[in-house]
Amino acid sequence: MFLTTEEEQSLQGEQGEAVQLAMSVLVKLGKMYGADRMIRIENVHVDASSYYGISDAGMEFCEKLAEEGAAYKVPTTLCIASIDFERHAEFDVAQECVEKQLRISEAHLKMGAIPSWTCTPYQCDSSVRFGQNIAWGESNAIAFVNSVIGARTIRCADFVDICAAITGLMPRFDLYLDDERKGSVLFKLDNLDTRYFTSADYAALGYYVGGVADSRVPVLQGVSKTVSVDQLKAFSAAVSTSGSIGLFHMCEITPEAKNLDEAFGGEKPSETVVFGQDELSEVRNSFSTQDGPEPDIAILGCPHYSVEELREAAHLLKNRRLAANKQLWIFTNRCAQERAEQMGILEKINETGAKVICDTCFLLFPTAAWELGSIATDSAKMAHYAPGLGKFRVSFLDKVQCIESVTK
Amino acid sequence: MKLSRILCNPLLSGVASGPALVTSQPICFWGGLDPKTGTITERDHELKGQNVAGTVFVFPTGKGSSTTSAILLESVRCGTAPAAIVNLKTEPILVIGAIIAEKLYDRVIPIVDTPERDPIKVIKSGEWVEVNASETQGWIQLRK
Repeated sequence: MFLTTEEEQSLQGEQGEAVQLAMSVLVKLGKMYGADRMIRIENVHVDASSYYGISDAGMEFCEKLAEEGAAYKVPTTLCIASIDFERHAEFDVAQECVEKQLRISEAHLKMGAIPSWTCTPYQCDSSVRFGQNIAWGESNAIAFVNSVIGARTIRCADFVDICAAITGLMPRFDLYLDDERKGSVLFKLDNLDTRYFTSADYAALGYYVGGVADSRVPVLQGVSKTVSVDQLKAFSAAVSTSGSIGLFHMCEITPEAKNLDEAFGGEKPSETVVFGQDELSEVRNSFSTQDGPEPDIAILGCPHYSVEELREAAHLLKNRRLAANKQLWIFTNRCAQERAEQMGILEKINETGAKVICDTCFLLFPTAAWELGSIATDSAKMAHYAPGLGKFRVSFLDKVQCIESVTK
Repeated sequence: MKLSRILCNPLLSGVASGPALVTSQPICFWGGLDPKTGTITERDHELKGQNVAGTVFVFPTGKGSSTTSAILLESVRCGTAPAAIVNLKTEPILVIGAIIAEKLYDRVIPIVDTPERDPIKVIKSGEWVEVNASETQGWIQLRK
């Protein structure tokens, strides 16, 4: 692997121990995967940001780098935290978690991170553009930014993102290369009018595609151009949950797939798979671990809700209130919440008894004290992880039914 | 007793041995592995309830979340990590946890992939296996 004189010097420790450690991780990574050289990256999204995600070991790693004087060289946003920084007292969060999350926050901010605390940085005034090389963590964000925006990142593991931010570099391999971005397996939608698809339908589609494509680049044909950014977000989160997917193409929708030929880089698909009503129903049914919608809580905002989705939720909640012993929690970020507040939406949601929660994720949230055994969600990612992480029973429903199931 | 050796691509150097834990199903460490105990918790996984601590963990590939590396790093801190990892194809996401563990806790987990024969067909869970990886070569050795 070729290194410039400056890169070689960084590796030898001439820019300090933190840069040396970061370089040695990146060089090792590059060598393992046959990278020919390093490339400059222009933006980083750090997934190694929450205490429940990275644990004590991850906290010790961040603190070690910050103590050694590491500084982020490019704009670097942070993924979710394990707490809502302003409201954690309401949710009975363990003191240890609060203290350790604050330590992680302090280490990142000391290194120059932007305190975005969201899994959807691409919906928060992101400056990332088509064709840029970036280094992002968090699987939904990676799939979205590669596929929908057309910036280039590998699926950065936790800590690779940090090493990239410290050096401004990444080894050049995988999705940084034109050849690796070509489609491989074709998914044809059969007799489905996706103009009527809900976010939950797009999530089910994504989950199916990810499961079949596994680690190949999937190309979808037959998705309506009416698909919204938020639906592409739901698809991105699902496709990267069931498979090792960092990039997908949707014909005539995503920027590297103006047509089928471009999506496959002029080559033929290695396999063609048909997705119809039967597959859609089968995937949707597979998420539910219980019969009948009797949830204790409905969870919306996985990934984080945009201001448009908050507006939609407020509309669906009109003239409704939380039912007795039920909860509705909507997860979002500060940037969407602030706009929702200015628009008067936040107040309307709060009036119904629903909670809008920032900075964090239900899956990393202390829920034991709330006696929540059963959840309703329209997110494939939530439905996939909730049984393993929280032993929750799941009802997979459209957001309208999610809201109706806990309100009256 | 016959020694059988399967050549592999070395990804992270080291030598380790232990009882094999073998699955033909990909695994997601985040939500699928509890680093405090080493127990596999992934929904519907054929190894659910089994423990990876000290094993030579043989699985086809990782999947899903980019938090995989952090889970592996924490499992090293907690002493519940596998002794070695054998994949058909290793994701970078997994190797990083092992690289940083070496830097932070001075604990080496050799990782190899692309074996010349499918180890999932050849190795059974519980069989004693050694993994040996250097910069240039790697192999899995088993006694049969």
